Amino acid sequence: MKSDSTLRLALAVLLLSLQTACKDAADSAADLTEPKRYVHSLDGVPASLDPAQAGTRYAKFLVLNLYDTLYRYRYLARPYELAPNLAAAMPELSKDGLTLTIRLKRGVHFIDDPAFADGKGREVTAQDVIYSLQRHFDPATRSQGAWLWQGRIEGLDAWKDQGSNYEQPVSGLRALDRHTLEIRLTQPYPQFVHTLAQGFAGVVPREAVTAYGLELGRRAVGSGPFRLQSIDSARARLVRNERFRQETFDLALEGFDPERDQGLGLTALDGRSSPFIDELEVEFIPEDAARWSSFYSGLTQFTKVPVAQFGQVLESTAPPTLKPELQERFQLQAAPELGFVYTSFNMADPEIGYSEDPQRNARNRALRCAIVKGFDWTQRNQRFFGGIGEVFPGVIPPRLPEYDPEQDRGSTEADPAAARALLAAADWDAGNLPVLEYGFPASVTERQLFEQFRGFMEAIGYPRAKIQPLSYASFGDYYRAYSQGQVMLITSAWTMDYPDAENTVQLFYGPHRAPGANAASFDDPQFNTAFSAAATLPPSPQRTELYRAANQRVIDECAAITGLVRRLVLLWDRQVILQPDWAFVGGYAMRFVDLRDPAGQR
Amino acid sequence: MSPEWLRILWRSPGGRTGCLLIFLLGLLASFTSMGWLGQGWSAGSDISWGEVSASHWFGTNRLGQDIFDRALVATATAFRVGLLVTLGAIAIGACLGGLAGWRHDRWPDHCVMWLAGVLDSVPVFLLAAALAFAFGGGEAAMYLAMILSFWTTTARLVRAEVMRLRGQDFVLAARAIGLPGQQILRRHLLPNTMHLLLVQASLTFVAAIKTEVILSFLGIGLDDGVSLGLMLAEATQDILAGHLGNFLAASGCLFLLLLGLNLAADALQDGVDMKQAPS
Repeated sequence: MKSDSTLRLALAVLLLSLQTACKDAADSAADLTEPKRYVHSLDGVPASLDPAQAGTRYAKFLVLNLYDTLYRYRYLARPYELAPNLAAAMPELSKDGLTLTIRLKRGVHFIDDPAFADGKGREVTAQDVIYSLQRHFDPATRSQGAWLWQGRIEGLDAWKDQGSNYEQPVSGLRALDRHTLEIRLTQPYPQFVHTLAQGFAGVVPREAVTAYGLELGRRAVGSGPFRLQSIDSARARLVRNERFRQETFDLALEGFDPERDQGLGLTALDGRSSPFIDELEVEFIPEDAARWSSFYSGLTQFTKVPVAQFGQVLESTAPPTLKPELQERFQLQAAPELGFVYTSFNMADPEIGYSEDPQRNARNRALRCAIVKGFDWTQRNQRFFGGIGEVFPGVIPPRLPEYDPEQDRGSTEADPAAARALLAAADWDAGNLPVLEYGFPASVTERQLFEQFRGFMEAIGYPRAKIQPLSYASFGDYYRAYSQGQVMLITSAWTMDYPDAENTVQLFYGPHRAPGANAASFDDPQFNTAFSAAATLPPSPQRTELYRAANQRVIDECAAITGLVRRLVLLWDRQVILQPDWAFVGGYAMRFVDLRDPAGQR
Repeated sequence: MSPEWLRILWRSPGGRTGCLLIFLLGLLASFTSMGWLGQGWSAGSDISWGEVSASHWFGTNRLGQDIFDRALVATATAFRVGLLVTLGAIAIGACLGGLAGWRHDRWPDHCVMWLAGVLDSVPVFLLAAALAFAFGGGEAAMYLAMILSFWTTTARLVRAEVMRLRGQDFVLAARAIGLPGQQILRRHLLPNTMHLLLVQASLTFVAAIKTEVILSFLGIGLDDGVSLGLMLAEATQDILAGHLGNFLAASGCLFLLLLGLNLAADALQDGVDMKQAPS
C-alpha cells in the first residue's frame, strides 16, 4: 500500500512538472508570436475617418494610415520631398503645365469589406481616384477639402453646379485606362501634386460610400498600410493590412541623414518591407497632464510635451536637450512646426485699417506700426513657447526656400520708445486712440495671451480701458466672427497645408479677403501683382524674388504682428525606431515605425 | 435691535464661525473693490512662475502677475457674482412662485410649473453651462445663465408657502376689504416668505460661486478680470510646470468662502426650522 501511495505521489509530481513545463513552453511560443504593438498618442480626437472630412491633424493622421494617396512625403527628407505612393511614378506634366498624366501601381487592393459584392477588396483603379476627387464637389459629402481643388481642375466646379451627377464626366478628370489618370488644370498650379498627398486625397471606393454613407466617418475601407479594428473617443486600434503592397524600404532614397538620424536605429529598416509593426494603437489624450502621465508610465510610447512642462523635461533649451534622468528611456526631437502664429489687423475696419480719408489712412498705418513696435516677441516666446520658438519677420517662415535670412528683423524687435514716438508723430494720444478689440476663443492660454498683449500696449501709452477683450465661446464662433470681419485684432495660427511659400503668402492676397483665408482683408496692389505673378511659376529664383517682394509689403504696411514658428518637443520611447514629424509626414511615418528587438517585443 | 436672522445666526457656534469667515473675506473683498488692496493683480513682471517671496506671498503666475493680489480680486469677484445672481434668482423665483401660488391651478401656475419642470429636468451645472455657451460666453451671459438656472427652487418653495398662506385669516380679511390680488401678494404674502427667501438666498449664493468657478474653468465665464475659477484653470498649466501658488491660493479662498457660507446657511436653516416646528 505504501509503495502505491509513493508511486501515486511520484506520478502526481511528474504530471505537475510536465504541465508546468508545457505551460512554460506554450508561453514562450506565445511570446515569440506576440504581435509588435506601438502605442502613439495624439492631443486631440479625430471627428471623422472619411478622407473628405480629414480637416484636422488628428483625422489626417489616421486617414493617411487607412487610405492610400497618390503621393506621399519621403519619410526622412528635409526639405520635404514628394514621392509616389499609390502612383507608380511622379506625374508626367505637359509642356504648358496644364495636363498631368499619372500612372497607378497595379495590383493594389482595397481591404476586404462587406461593402464589396463578394466581401473581397477589389483592385484600386484610376476611376476610384476620379470618384474620390469628384465626391469633394458633391454637396452630399459636405467635404472640408474641396477648397484644395476649387477652380483648379477643368470642369469640376461646373460638374458641381450641374448637380454632381456621377454619370456625367468631368472634362478635366479622365481615366485613360484602368491604371492611368489624366488631370487637366485650369491654369498652371505648381503645388498641385502636394494636394494629392493630403488626407483629403485619400482614395475611397464608391461601394463603401454607397454602403455606409455618413457612417464612413467611423469605418475605413481603404488600401493603406493599416486596417481599422476599432475606434472610440479614447483610442483607435489599427492592425497591419496584410494585403498592403510589398515595397522595399530604401533608407537612402527616403532621405536618411547619418548625422541627424544617428542613434535612432533607422538603419535596421533598410531593405525591409513596411509596415513593420502589427498593431498601431493611437490614444487620444487632449489633457496635457494625462497625456504626460500615460507616456511617463509607459502606457503610450510617444508624446508631445506641453510647453508648461519644458522646465521639467529639458536640461537646456538652446539647443533643447533632455534631462539626464530621462535620457536613458526617451528620445527627444525639438522640431519646428511648419506654420506660424501671428496677429493680423482687420484692414477693413476704418478704425485701424483702410480709410477713405488719406490722412486717417496714414495715421492708421502709423498706429499699426506702433503696435507692431510695441509687441515683445521675445517675451511672448519665453512665456508661451518655452523660449524655443523662432521669431521671424513677415509671412515666409524659416526653412522655406523663399525665406530670406538677411531680411531686416526690425519688425520683430520690441521698441516701446520708438512706438510712442510713432504715435506722437501721427497725432495719436490717450484721448483719441481708438478702442482696440482683441479677439480670442475662450481658454486660459488665449486669455493670458490677451493680458500679455494688453501689458505691451500699456507700455507704449495705450490706455488700459481702450484695450478690450472680445472672447468667443468656442474656436468655431471666433473663426466665424473674424471670417466675417467682426474682429479688429485677429490672433491665429496657420499650419501649412503643403511645404510651399504660396500657402503662407496667399494669407494676405487681396482676392482671398474675408471670408477667405486673408482674414485681415489686406488688399495691396503691389502685393497682389507680385503674388499673382508668382503663383503660377514653379520654384525658381524669379518666384523667390516675387514672394519676397510681397512679404516686404506686409511688413511695410504693418498689416500684421508676425511671426513665430512654434517648436514642438516630441518624446518617444527608446525601444521605438522612429523619426517623428508633426507636419506633413506625420501620418505617413507610422508605416515606418518599428520596435527594437528583443526588448521591443511586447 | 439686530435683525431676527442675525440673532438666529449668532446663536449657534457654526453660525458664528460662518459669519466671521464671511465678514473677514467680505472685508477683504470690499477693500479690494474700493481699490485699497490687490491693485497689482494684472501687472506683469519679469518673474514668470516666480517662487514665494516677501513681495509675492503666493509667488507669481506665468505672466509674472502676483497671485496673492489675484486671489483678493478673485474673492471680490466671487462676492459680486454671488450677490448679483442671488438677487436676480431670488427676485424672479419669489415673483413667479408667488404668482403661481396665488393663482394656484390656473394658467399662470401651470405655465410657471411647466417652465420650472423643464429647467429642473436638466442638471443645474449642465444647464448653466449650456445657457452661458448659448448666450455667447462672457460675464453677462454667465450671470443670465445662472439666474435662469437657479430661480426654480425658490419659486417652488414660495409657491407652496403662498398656497399655505392664502387661506389664512389675514389674507381673507384683506380680500374682504377689497384689496386687489396684486397688492395682497406684494404687501402681505411675499413679506411672509422672507424666512424662506433668506435661507434660499444663502444657498443660492454658494451655488452661484461654485457655478462661476466651473464656468470660468471651462472658459465661458468672465470676459475680463480674474476669478477663482480662472485661477484654478490657470493652475492646470502651473501644476505641470511644478508651481502650486495659483492652486493653493484659489482653492484656499474657495474653501474658506464656501465653508463660511455653508455654516451660515446651515445655522439659518436650523433656526428657521426650529421656529417653524410645531410645539
